Amino acid sequence: MEENKQSNYGATFKRSPIFFIISRIVILFFIIIIIFPLLYTLSLSVRSPETVYSAKFFLIPHEFSLQNYYDAFFYAEERLKVSFPRMFLNSIIVTTSSVSLIIMLSIFAAFSFSHLRFPMKESLYNVMIASVAMPAQVLLIPLFYLLIYFGIINTYLAVILAYAGFLIPIGILILRMFFEQIPYELTEAGIVDGSSDFQLLTKVLLPLAKPAIATCVILLFLDTWNEFIYAMIFMQDPTIHTMQVGLAKIGTSRYHINIGTYSASVMVSIIPVLIIFTIFQRWFIAGMTMGALKH
Amino acid sequence: MIYKTFRFRTLIYLLPALFIFLTFNVIPGLTSLVLSFFDFSGFETNLFKKFVGIDNFIKIYEDKYFWIALKNTFLFVFGAVFIQTGIALMLSIFIFFGNFKFSVLIRSIIFFPCVLAPVSVGLVWKKILEQDGVLNAILGLDFSWLSSISLVMWLIITVNTWQWIGYNLVIYYAGLQSLNIELLEASDIDGANWSQKIFSIVIPLLWPTTILNMILNLIGGFRAFDIVYVLTRGGPAHYSEVLASYLYYYSFAAGGPNKMGVGASVAFIIFVCILTIAFARIVVMKRVEKN
Repeated sequence: MEENKQSNYGATFKRSPIFFIISRIVILFFIIIIIFPLLYTLSLSVRSPETVYSAKFFLIPHEFSLQNYYDAFFYAEERLKVSFPRMFLNSIIVTTSSVSLIIMLSIFAAFSFSHLRFPMKESLYNVMIASVAMPAQVLLIPLFYLLIYFGIINTYLAVILAYAGFLIPIGILILRMFFEQIPYELTEAGIVDGSSDFQLLTKVLLPLAKPAIATCVILLFLDTWNEFIYAMIFMQDPTIHTMQVGLAKIGTSRYHINIGTYSASVMVSIIPVLIIFTIFQRWFIAGMTMGALKH
Repeated sequence: MIYKTFRFRTLIYLLPALFIFLTFNVIPGLTSLVLSFFDFSGFETNLFKKFVGIDNFIKIYEDKYFWIALKNTFLFVFGAVFIQTGIALMLSIFIFFGNFKFSVLIRSIIFFPCVLAPVSVGLVWKKILEQDGVLNAILGLDFSWLSSISLVMWLIITVNTWQWIGYNLVIYYAGLQSLNIELLEASDIDGANWSQKIFSIVIPLLWPTTILNMILNLIGGFRAFDIVYVLTRGGPAHYSEVLASYLYYYSFAAGGPNKMGVGASVAFIIFVCILTIAFARIVVMKRVEKN
């Protein structure tokens, strides 16, 4: 359907050669700008250490080799005291536990906002909406001391709870809107059948809310996987560094690092995201668009 | 509503989320405002021991680098709100009306950097912009881009735009897809050419989407930290510091002043900026609804 609509529009512009040519040039230019830095880093990472500075057209290496990836692996172990697989594992632990915690709590809370009565409901909701606009750095210092006080600084829990506090409003926002769009007749039928509120949530609303939950998962996954400042400050113990923190340490370290090793480290963080994105790209784009439109 | 009245038992749905939201978001946020009037550093346990009034604010008022950070933050936000939105608008119109064969692929490519971590993006560009990097090789120059006081902020804005332009693009694309086709067809009959169609029909009709994009970029602009940290760490000599990285430098950075109280007062200022924007947004929205 999408394609259909587009060709309808396009027909009115087709007759203008100027528009046709300008659009080709501009889009080609931007595609190159977007792709070149990534391809260049990939190209650096697969050059052999001796020929790292020589390539045809800046991109095609003279000599292919995966040596840089081995070097990156050992560099991380030696300098950071944490290996790449461990950083991955840390990131996965933090991301999956915070996303599942946020989703679970948001589902229940969104249900109470959409289908239950309680005092101060709308004012509380407005506070949550307002908090979405706050930058994470505002909470940095008090959270740091709060986590020390709870004795969970330098553990996974520190970051998981910090993410939960920060991202729960977004989950509630998206899910409440969705729950309220579900026709009330469906809920009513459930009430007449004598279902409890818990049954209404799990049997009637949740099966219908799968797309909204998928949107939430994608948004929260990106936010937590890519998050940097909380992970850096609340988990300073090297063995629990996440991918982003380890990578930033490698990239901004004062020690000399071979440009090939450096690029290999960066590619290690980019390639898995590229694979996941290629498989689920429609979901990512739809999810992020929907997330934005709900603001 | 399932029940006609409030029932205590149903609070159990709300309380877990509310507890975490209050403990790890609202209470620290409010504490941060209070803490900006105290002097404390990284190793103290009793934060509220030394009340210093507005000394922290005076300290940053007198610090030349605070003003640079403030100016840079506004510059960054300006870049995100106007330049990034503008380019995204142009690209979306070109892709949508350009009759491209692979328009889905083109959108996916331009969108891809959005899913990358800002840290990865910063590191990719850092090597490109270095003195022996590929940009100089292509241009035939020998220029240290990231050490240039006048250019460094614009480079950070460029890298940020590079990463996030696809986000605005897909939002614009969604706006274009819900556009009213009849107006365009009518203008076709009236003999309007492509530039007239774009400037007098498409762009005015996209105005709500433009506002949305601008608000998203505005909020995102105040958040920027990762990209600055990775690309320059605020350098050269604090000339690319933004408010968030200035806060980090004052309170956490190794070799920094390690003054948490001053950091909290910077957080206070960010808080006030965002609050002002939020109020302005509500006022604007009300006026838009009235019209």
